[in-house]
Amino acid sequence: MLDFFQAVSDGVLFGATYALIGIGFTLVFGVMHKINMAYAAASVGGAYAGLLVLQVMAGAPPWVVFSCAFLAGGLLGWMVYVTCFHFIPLSSPLAPLMSTVGMLLLIDEVIVHLTAGMPQAYPALFDDVMLSMGEFTLRGDLMLVFGVSVLAMIALLLLLYRTRLGLATRAVAQQPVAAQLCGIRLARVNVLTFVVTGLLGGLAGALVGASVGTLSPLLTVPLTIKGLIVTVIGGLGSIPGAIVAGLLVGGFENVLQLYRGVTERDLYVMLLLFAFLIFRPAGLFAPRGGH
Amino acid sequence: MKKLALAVSLALAAGMAHAQTIKIAGFGAKSGVVRSFGINSEAALLAAADVINKAGGVKLADGSKAKMVVEFYDDRCNAEEGISVIRRIAGTDAVVAVGPTCSNVAEPLFGILQKKAGDAGDSGLQMPVFTDVAIKVGLAKISEWAFRNVPNEMTMYNSLFYWLRTQHPGLKTVYGGVEEDFAHSRATWYIVMKTRAEASGYEVLGTSKWLLADSNFATQVREMKKANADIIALSAHPFTTCGVLKEMQRQGVKPKLLVGLTSSSSLETLQGCPKQAEGIIIPTSFAPINKEANFAAKSTAKFKGAADLHSMAAWENMFILKNVMEAEGISGKPGDVQADRRKIRDGLARLKTTQGLMGVTKRDAEREADKPYLFVHAKKGEWKVLYNPL
Repeated sequence: MLDFFQAVSDGVLFGATYALIGIGFTLVFGVMHKINMAYAAASVGGAYAGLLVLQVMAGAPPWVVFSCAFLAGGLLGWMVYVTCFHFIPLSSPLAPLMSTVGMLLLIDEVIVHLTAGMPQAYPALFDDVMLSMGEFTLRGDLMLVFGVSVLAMIALLLLLYRTRLGLATRAVAQQPVAAQLCGIRLARVNVLTFVVTGLLGGLAGALVGASVGTLSPLLTVPLTIKGLIVTVIGGLGSIPGAIVAGLLVGGFENVLQLYRGVTERDLYVMLLLFAFLIFRPAGLFAPRGGH
Repeated sequence: MKKLALAVSLALAAGMAHAQTIKIAGFGAKSGVVRSFGINSEAALLAAADVINKAGGVKLADGSKAKMVVEFYDDRCNAEEGISVIRRIAGTDAVVAVGPTCSNVAEPLFGILQKKAGDAGDSGLQMPVFTDVAIKVGLAKISEWAFRNVPNEMTMYNSLFYWLRTQHPGLKTVYGGVEEDFAHSRATWYIVMKTRAEASGYEVLGTSKWLLADSNFATQVREMKKANADIIALSAHPFTTCGVLKEMQRQGVKPKLLVGLTSSSSLETLQGCPKQAEGIIIPTSFAPINKEANFAAKSTAKFKGAADLHSMAAWENMFILKNVMEAEGISGKPGDVQADRRKIRDGLARLKTTQGLMGVTKRDAEREADKPYLFVHAKKGEWKVLYNPL
């Protein structure tokens, strides 16, 4: 039984990073009704950019690296918007989908070319801390990841529900035409959505790097897949849904890995996704109005 | 005027003779996460060609000399891409191909080569392929056009576990960790490391599995912790090796010895987790321990490549090929490309030994190499020789 609880706690804590990635997918979908396939790659790109701090400031503390990743994520978010959405005919649902898939591959390959694909050591906070209760343990760094993720999510919710930008974002998400008639500039809200999700993504990428201890371009595709699964299970466009689904998927895959092994683990995660698509296609927290 | 025309003609003829080239096609991963392998192989091929050319080049059947030219193709460590690349190479005037990087490319690629050389009923590609990196055991037997100069992991790990047994007689148990979805890692653990450890008298307590792109190793490391083995052997590439080593540090898993995968005795591991990799022991077929090896490493560095067991195999391949071309008397003429390829294949097949950077390499009937090896361990962020059985 201890193994079960251990697997659940490890998975749920790590699932916080999935939740952060899922939020990015869901927020863009909620506002623009488009999927940004480059989101996880840009998040990992932001995390790599964070490492640039160490080039100019050797031995910089991890929080400086994380801050740089956070800002770089925002910049990459803006770049993804400009290159994949701003000049692309959004009336065709396939166009931005394909442009962001292209951007995913481009970011991935740029990272590979700049690092020759070599894994890069990533700084972490509290990675030597392990809380023990008998044989039950909790990783200090993952608890930090969880805590930072929760704070980031709270900050995002406050931004959405307590600021004029949030009000505009929600208005555009619900009724873009009516929002425009009220004087809200659609393009501005869209670009700010990408910057905000990019900032969150940069932080998520840094937290993933910190929790693994190493960054590799190998992370981009699995994080994209996990982010999409979390978005669908949580309900497209639902931020609370993405949070709960991220934690759920993290715990679920870890338990399945414990009992069924690593080769079957992803199979069951996919089955969970299919089960949701069939029995609850709108996800855990389907927003009113369908998005 | 006639004298001038004759002089110009002679000069042109001499120029053409000097311009004669022998093309070697290198191929491997130059994009994707194993890009560094392709970069290093290409650099080693170019560096070796440069050394050979500065010494005069390759002597052809008619006594003239030709320069070696290397053209490198990217197969992205993808089987389909690799097959497409070898077909493209076969359509050029390259007389031999050196590559690929990945075993999952080598296996299907060898499958499209003619199985038995000279079999008129087999329309497979007749292109000699001399592999430098793809290391999964027993692949060259797929085709008589396939040759490899990669270390024999069976011999190396057999020797390593035997040596560990003699050096640390108190250690009795081994626990394995394997990248379950990577052909080389999987084959090396199940066919090589596990069986060789058992053959040396170790009890293998179990195996933890993960995937190449996994990022959470908590469950696997808990299994290792529970097993409490004396030795942990990781058959994994640098990214997950580092992930697992960092998780081991967090969970306080401290085996008495750590053993790693041949391919992880590279810069990548030391760049990803220098502190956690401290002490890990890996058998390898290259270390800059003599004049020739140091020269090869420095020459490769000039072409922006790093010297490791894989890239230095590419370096060795160039010199082996030069010797074979000269011994077999290839013509180097555009019309004789296929005949030259056949001569190179036959020459490579005849080799019983070759001279490598670490010493003499034996070659077996299945066109595989049995290279000299040594054991290295990570010490203060560098690979140091732990034991040299040479």
